[in-house]
Amino acid sequence: MTQNRREQLRKAEQAKANQQRLTRIIGVGAGLLVLVIVAVFAVVLISQANKATTAAPSAEQISPPNALANDQGILPYPGAAKSGVPAVELFFDYQCPICNQFETIYGDALEQLASSGQIELHYRPMIFLDVNLQNDSSLRAGIGAACADVVGQYRQYHDQLFANQPQKEGAGYADSVLRDAIPAKLSLTGDKLTTFQKCYDGKQTQKWVQAQDESGAKAGVTGTPTFRVNGHDVALKEFASPDQLGQLIKKFS
Amino acid sequence: MREEATAGPKKGWQRWVTLVARLVLGLTLMIAGALKITSIDAAINSVRAYKLLPFEITWLVGTALPIVEIVIGLMLVTGTFTRIAAVLGSALMLAFIIGIISVWVRGISIDCGCFAPGGAVDPSQTQYPLEVARDVGLLLLGVWTIWRPTSVFALDAWLFAAAEPTTVDDQENLR
Repeated sequence: MTQNRREQLRKAEQAKANQQRLTRIIGVGAGLLVLVIVAVFAVVLISQANKATTAAPSAEQISPPNALANDQGILPYPGAAKSGVPAVELFFDYQCPICNQFETIYGDALEQLASSGQIELHYRPMIFLDVNLQNDSSLRAGIGAACADVVGQYRQYHDQLFANQPQKEGAGYADSVLRDAIPAKLSLTGDKLTTFQKCYDGKQTQKWVQAQDESGAKAGVTGTPTFRVNGHDVALKEFASPDQLGQLIKKFS
Repeated sequence: MREEATAGPKKGWQRWVTLVARLVLGLTLMIAGALKITSIDAAINSVRAYKLLPFEITWLVGTALPIVEIVIGLMLVTGTFTRIAAVLGSALMLAFIIGIISVWVRGISIDCGCFAPGGAVDPSQTQYPLEVARDVGLLLLGVWTIWRPTSVFALDAWLFAAAEPTTVDDQENLR
């Protein structure tokens, strides 16, 4: 073997080795890329599958009669507001303990202002705690409240939900409470009770409740309670005694 | 895209520091990603709570972030493309720090959602100084790893090994 021939062979071997090294590096890089793409597909598919389990039921879907247009919530005091009064939106989740405290302290004052027509009160139910607490209790409570609106008892049902909120966050509302106990407390009987239970059992307001949550999220609400006067958020630290609530709302409107 | 695996550190101990740095940062990212990936909806809510991004893309970020965290974490733990992984991991940490400081400055009260579903919390429950300090520490580990990507027990050693001809016919000429 001449030196020259040997040199050529050596060069060829070296080139082959370099090629192998490059192939190895590119292969591992491509492998990682494929891993990412597969993972993205898997995650998207699984979360879609999870959504399918809470898909709208087959029963006919309805909107509660006092729902606001474009999924902007519901009027607990329909027709009470005088013209030109500030619009007050309260975003809440029926499983949220702080919403319950808020309701306990300011609920009466707020309802007084709304029923006397000094504000136009919009209730905006949200259900994102279902995700955090891994249950479907906010959704079911929302369905119940919206079905109560069908028989003209939304506001009363809403108050009962907070009164019956589970002590432990995440325990969730029992179906028996939502379907039987609260309606009994509200003295729903006869046709009204039948109508309510048909609506609740068929989850006829589920789509509407889910749409309220979606619109709340789109409105930039990421925590409850959120108190909004004519589109401006009022921080919870601004709140003083309940009898000053009217002035506070004026200040922000 | 070339790692300087051959331009190793001057001192042997630095290879061990890098090992510790990439393991701590990598495992933290992997755990954070794994905890989020089980509930993508909650991860999306956590992203929304920062009120930084347009609503339409929070879905994308919330879905992609856990995956990105796990993959970068895997690369760091195994020492694969260490420097690239460290750059990506550091960028992620920087983004998290900016995010937390921005909610802190704007007076929004949230849980960062780093290792669990985040979202609004009572103002008394925020832990911004702690969260920022932790992420700054992790960022420093990332920056060290960018500076000294060579470490012991890394796949990079095999991946970027110098190309050796298969024949040993001529070894002495190669040296």
